[in-house]
This record gives sequence, C-alpha cells and structure tokens, in this order.
Amino acid sequence: MGIITVLWEKWTEFKRDFYKITVSAMISPLMYLIIFGLGIQTTSHGEPYLHFLIPGIVAMATMTGSFSAIAQNMSVQRLYEKALDQVMVSPTPLWQFITGQILGGSLRGMYAAGIILLLTRAIRTDLIFNGWSFLIMFLNGTVFSTIALVLSFLAKSYTDAPRYTSYIIMPMSFLCNTFFSTDQMPGGFRQVVSCLPLSQASGMIRAISNGESPGVFGFVILLIYLAVFTALSVLFIYRKKNL
Amino acid sequence: MIEIRGITKKFGDFTAVDDLNLTVNTGEFFGLLGPNGAGKTTTISMISTVLLPTAGQILIDGNILDRKAAKEKRKLSVITQEYSMRQDMTMDEVMEYQGRLYFLPRRVIKERSDRLLEFTGLIDFRKRTVRHLSGGMKRKLMICRALMTEPEILLLDEPTAGMDALSRRQMWNLLRSVNSGSMTIILTTHYIEEAEALCDRVALLNRGRLQKLDSPKTLIDELGMFAVDEMRDGKLETRYFHEREKAIAFLSESHEQASLRATTLEDVFIEVAGAKINK
Repeated sequence: MGIITVLWEKWTEFKRDFYKITVSAMISPLMYLIIFGLGIQTTSHGEPYLHFLIPGIVAMATMTGSFSAIAQNMSVQRLYEKALDQVMVSPTPLWQFITGQILGGSLRGMYAAGIILLLTRAIRTDLIFNGWSFLIMFLNGTVFSTIALVLSFLAKSYTDAPRYTSYIIMPMSFLCNTFFSTDQMPGGFRQVVSCLPLSQASGMIRAISNGESPGVFGFVILLIYLAVFTALSVLFIYRKKNL
Repeated sequence: MIEIRGITKKFGDFTAVDDLNLTVNTGEFFGLLGPNGAGKTTTISMISTVLLPTAGQILIDGNILDRKAAKEKRKLSVITQEYSMRQDMTMDEVMEYQGRLYFLPRRVIKERSDRLLEFTGLIDFRKRTVRHLSGGMKRKLMICRALMTEPEILLLDEPTAGMDALSRRQMWNLLRSVNSGSMTIILTTHYIEEAEALCDRVALLNRGRLQKLDSPKTLIDELGMFAVDEMRDGKLETRYFHEREKAIAFLSESHEQASLRATTLEDVFIEVAGAKINK
C-alpha cells in the first residue's frame, strides 16, 4: 500500500513535469547518437558503430534517468523542503517507501530508455530488444535508484546531488561499455570497470541486441549491487539518527 | 499517554536535550517552553521519530516509539516549524499524499480535504501549488494536513511563528476546539502568552534540561502572583509577592520608579533559568 502511495507521488510528479522530464531524458543521448553515430560515421568489427552505440546509450539512459529521478528529488525533499519528515512521522512502513522509490526511479529510467528506443527506430539497425532487454533495463534502473537513495541520505546539502552526478554518473557514462568496449582497457583497470553495474547492463543489452545470450554473470553483479544498496537505504532510513 | 524516559540527544559534542523525563497525559494540552536552543524542536523531532535519541526511550500508551512502530505513529501528526511540504504539489495533492501515507480511503481523503480546506478558507486555492502560497496559507495548509488524519496526538512546533496577532488568536481558537475533543497536544513555543492561554501544563526547558514542570497557574502562584518592577541604578529589578497588600505596601515604600503588575510565566522562567525567554 505504501509502495502505491510513493508510485502515485512519482506519477503526479511525472504528469506535472512531463515535458521537462521528456526533453531532459532525450537531449544527452540524442547528442551522443548524432555526434558519435551519425556525425562521425565509423565501423566497429565490420558493423556500423551505431549498432554498438545504441545498446550502450539505452543502458546509460536507464542509469541517468533513474539516478536523477531519485538523487535530486530526495536530497531536496530531505534537506530543503523537509518533506521527508511527513513520511517519517507517518505509519507508512519505511521499507515500503524505499521500495516505492526504487520502483519509481527505475520506471523513470525505463521511460528515458524507451524514448531512445523510439528515436532510434527511424534508423533501421536490426538490433533486437526483447523482454530480457527490458528486464535488464529495469534491473539497471533499480540499482541506480538505490545508489541515488543512499547518496541522498548521505548528502549534507541539496547541492550535493549534482556533485554526485559529476563524480559517479559522468565517469560511468563514458567508461562503462557505452562508447567503447571495456576489453580495450588495460588490465586491472578493465576488471574494476567491468564490475561496475553500467558495464554489465550495457554488455547484456548489447549481447541481446546482437542475438546472443546475455549470460548470467551480469545479472548476478546487478543483483549484488541492488541487494547491497537496498540494504544500506533501509538501514539508513531506520537507523540514521539525524535523518 | 506519552512517556519520555531519560532522553538525551547529542549532535557531536553538543547536547541539545539532556536526560529529559516527562509524562504527557491523554487529552492534555502540554507546552514545551524555552528560549531558542532550549531543545524544544529537538524534543518534538524525537517524538515524531525524525530524529532518534542518543539515549532514552519514548513510549506511547506503553509501547516504545521508534521508526518501525506503525501503530503508534498512526496516532501522531505533526506541524513543524518549517513548511515541510513538497513545494511543487498542489494543496489537493498535499492533502491526498498525507491521506495515502496514513492509509485513508480515497473517499475519506476527499471528504476531509473539502471540510478542512473550507474551514480554513483555502478551498478556492486548492489547485494552487505550495510554492505559490503565502506564508499564512502554507501554515494553514500544514494544519489541514495534520488534522486530516484525525490524530490522537498532535505535535505543534512553533505553530504561530511569524503570524500576525489576529491570525495567532484564530489559531488559538482552532487549537482549543480540536483539544476539546480529547486530542493530546504538545506545543512548543517561545511566546509566553500562548503557553499561558493554551496549556494545561508547561515544561520549562533551558539548554536541553528540564527546569520546571507544572500548570502555568501553579508555577506563577509558587513565585507569587504579584510582581513589582523597580528601576534601581538604571537596572530593572523585580520582586514577587503572594499577597496584593504586601506588593502595594512595598510599592508605596519604594523611592525608585516602580510599578505593580501580574506575574507571568516569563517571570517564572527568568527566576528559574536566569534567561529571558524571548531572547
């Protein structure tokens, strides 16, 4: 029931800011597609580079869409508007509030990815996006929603959210299997980057889009991230003395 | 009944509330009174579970209150000092969100929203976002939101801060009317007249510690109902008397500029804590 309340809150926010959300979800990925895919026309392993790029951009869109939906919003609610107090004092179980935030954030990520998929339909690529692809997008969205929650509980000022984007989201966007394969990275660094959630999400969505199996390893990595950050969010909301 | 058992709240080295023990009875209008930084808001924040105590416990009707205590939290509603609301929501959305957080059916949410917004004169602005409301309207909306859940315990943190005299009186009348229905109210304020007018009992806090606890009348009676202010060497000194005749006799013998008046809670606090409440 509390989960539905949070999803209702997210839905009212989505309806109100529909155009802003849609346009901001489109701009960066669209620029990357135009510049790297259509502007600089290259090939990768004999295939148009766009075929490599699109799955990565889709995974990246779920990450940025989910993260920004939660991090900024929750930081402002907690530190500036103090609207989180309304939730804290209410009888809504806080684990349900956290679950609602994770689902709501992930759905926003899915929406951002859906826009990219619609835009790229105009380019005939024969890439495959099926139910598994959407499951990975959803899972990736939940991971970044939980990361956003944890960071927003740690934030000391509401201006910290944009900083987290610069420190975490931006490097991941460029390094994690979006624009180029992590296989090309030097050893050691490659292993670290490969274990990041976006690398796995991009890799799995790309594998499916090429008609290959996504494997199990990526799911395991994403589920570990989800479990760890969900546990931290729940721990913070129940135990943090000065929320 | 609310039992506060030895709660302490520390922020680093600073102790905001220090070993506070209180019992607030069901249906009581209870005031937490003290200067800025006395620990009033911190105490309210701990009762509302936004802050967790460093030590001690809070019990509601014998059950420990913490962030998991849904049954106890269902009885609580809070009006915070700050406008703690989503700024981008409309009044209707703020009310619906509150109702949903308390698991109220949509029909009940609608009925109560209509009634409360009508009662507070906000009904014509219900589609307006919080960001575009005046300070007074936001304050009224917070009251509507708190009353929406028909709480058994209402926590009010400086509810009339920044209000003009007329609005403050209207708020007092509203609070008296809701308290008459057996709702327990805990009010923090640094307006002495507010505590005197509304509270059955007050706790005088200073630097996080409880200084005195009793009804305003008893506290005043203890000190002496009559106060004589006297200017001595450019400094105001006050003497207190239990009998009017003695106060008048003192006044007539005084060679300094002096005046007789009724003792207030502020006098009690100054005597107890050595600090002026409105500082």
